[in-house]
Amino acid sequence: MPLYRMTDLLRRYGDSTVLNIDQLTIQPGQISTLIGPNGAGKTTLLQILAFLDRPTSGRLEFCGEEVVWQERQLLPLRRQVVLVDQYPIMFSGTVRRNVEYGLKLRQVAQAERRRRAMEVLAEVGMEAFADQDARSLSGGENKRVALARALVLQPEVLLCDEPTANVDSENQEIILRILLEQNRDRNTSIIFSTHYLSQGQRLAHHSLMLQQGSLSVTVSDNSFRVGVVSRSAERVECRLRGQLLISLPATLVPAAAVCRLHLDPARILVNPVEAEAVAGTRLVGEVVELASHGSRVRLVVDVGVRLVVFLDSRHYRQKPLSLGERLELVIPVSAMSCEAVDTLP
Amino acid sequence: MGFFADSFRSALLLFWNLDRELLEIIGVSLRVSFAATLIAALLAIPAAFFIAGRNFAGKRLLLTILNTLLALPTVVIGLVVYSLISRRGIFGPLDLLYTQTAMVIGQVILIVPVITTLTIAAVSRIDRRFRPTALTLGAGPGDLALVILREARYGIFAAVIAAYGRVIAEVGISMMLGGNAKGFTRTMTTAMALEYDKGEFVLAVALGIALMTIAFLINILFHFCQGQSDHAPV
Repeated sequence: MPLYRMTDLLRRYGDSTVLNIDQLTIQPGQISTLIGPNGAGKTTLLQILAFLDRPTSGRLEFCGEEVVWQERQLLPLRRQVVLVDQYPIMFSGTVRRNVEYGLKLRQVAQAERRRRAMEVLAEVGMEAFADQDARSLSGGENKRVALARALVLQPEVLLCDEPTANVDSENQEIILRILLEQNRDRNTSIIFSTHYLSQGQRLAHHSLMLQQGSLSVTVSDNSFRVGVVSRSAERVECRLRGQLLISLPATLVPAAAVCRLHLDPARILVNPVEAEAVAGTRLVGEVVELASHGSRVRLVVDVGVRLVVFLDSRHYRQKPLSLGERLELVIPVSAMSCEAVDTLP
Repeated sequence: MGFFADSFRSALLLFWNLDRELLEIIGVSLRVSFAATLIAALLAIPAAFFIAGRNFAGKRLLLTILNTLLALPTVVIGLVVYSLISRRGIFGPLDLLYTQTAMVIGQVILIVPVITTLTIAAVSRIDRRFRPTALTLGAGPGDLALVILREARYGIFAAVIAAYGRVIAEVGISMMLGGNAKGFTRTMTTAMALEYDKGEFVLAVALGIALMTIAFLINILFHFCQGQSDHAPV
């Protein structure tokens, strides 16, 4: 049974749509990452998964049960899922009081609360800070205590919003190690957001890419390691996976020898007519896979490497494609993002 | 100047001799003000939590009305309550006029807007992340209110102190609804007004000293509590 299942999930703030997910299933016992730039909707999705924010429309299931967003149902659900904020806030009082807070709500006896709090503080290397004022901690220490405050509850699901953002590299490693151990030793399902692709791919069983509120595709698709071959003022010639030579705008490619290139499959244009012609990289290839994917059609086109393209179903019905058909793809600059590999942690 | 110094010296002598009338007046003042503040706090703090925590139609209008009520003159409250509890008023049969209960009712009306608006401000000032943090750790609605109460406690305490200061120093309500009956509804402020009318300044100065001392002690208590929180985590 999936841990989460989302169908046509929409979250709007006023006129602006911050999250729009057709279909998404997250399996239990895994580490999943949400990867995307700032404003992609990662925090909103995590808040919905933590039952702290209610979608404007759509359906969310948790362990097979539909979430109906009534307080009576939400409290037991929230007690299985804990979200660690990107900028965690500590309640006034000591570090230990903060860590014990959730246990106190669950009416755990005082001696047991204290034992478990000290145990988990030791796990995150913060036991020496137990009696210190929680508001006097540094950024990295604060995140570790916030993690301890969540872990002490032994949740089914641990959600972390940018757990390694704004902390030094030593604390980053500690936090990532804790997440891995928690998943390995207690089989806790972990979902964390990051804008570091490499971090997601290094730790996670499954990575999800969010772009402007929409799930573009799993990152293993359309994510390529590219080597820079030559660079001019306007264009950079790159080789994808050591095979396909591709020309990219110089403004897109960071000054590094090796980069990771993402191509948003929902924005790649297929056989554009004149009116749709836009500036971008043009490639020609052959359709090798064709499948229905919710309200969209998923194509895999071999252009030298395999590119995933999503087409709107209505658009597809007007211009059906067939396997083996050759077609032209245009990848607009807005569909590309590129980051240097050797500068990632 | 000599006249004021004489009055001051005589006033200190009243304290030194534990003058019965002086102590009685201070006792009535403290008792009535404390009761009014306690009742107003019990009404206003939950109301402030409700208003601060929810968005509803007319919220802005309600806040405007509460802010306007901060400037409500005590004589207006005295007049309105008088019209309700005097013999010909709808609560006339309860025989409340010129009692400490009547003074408490008037003073509660005076300070409910004070505690409500200042508590709304205190609750709104605390960090927005406390709410989702408490909820994700498993807090129910009651637990959440306790978290907010705890994190905003100094602001709320300050609101209650300000309200206490307002009622202990007011004169209009106490005079109109209490009637300044000696040993029964005579408070520090009404006694001071009476002594002034009589041209007797000794008791008036003594009561002025008592009033300022009480205000000073309350502020010291408040700062002491605040200092404890800054230096000694719970």
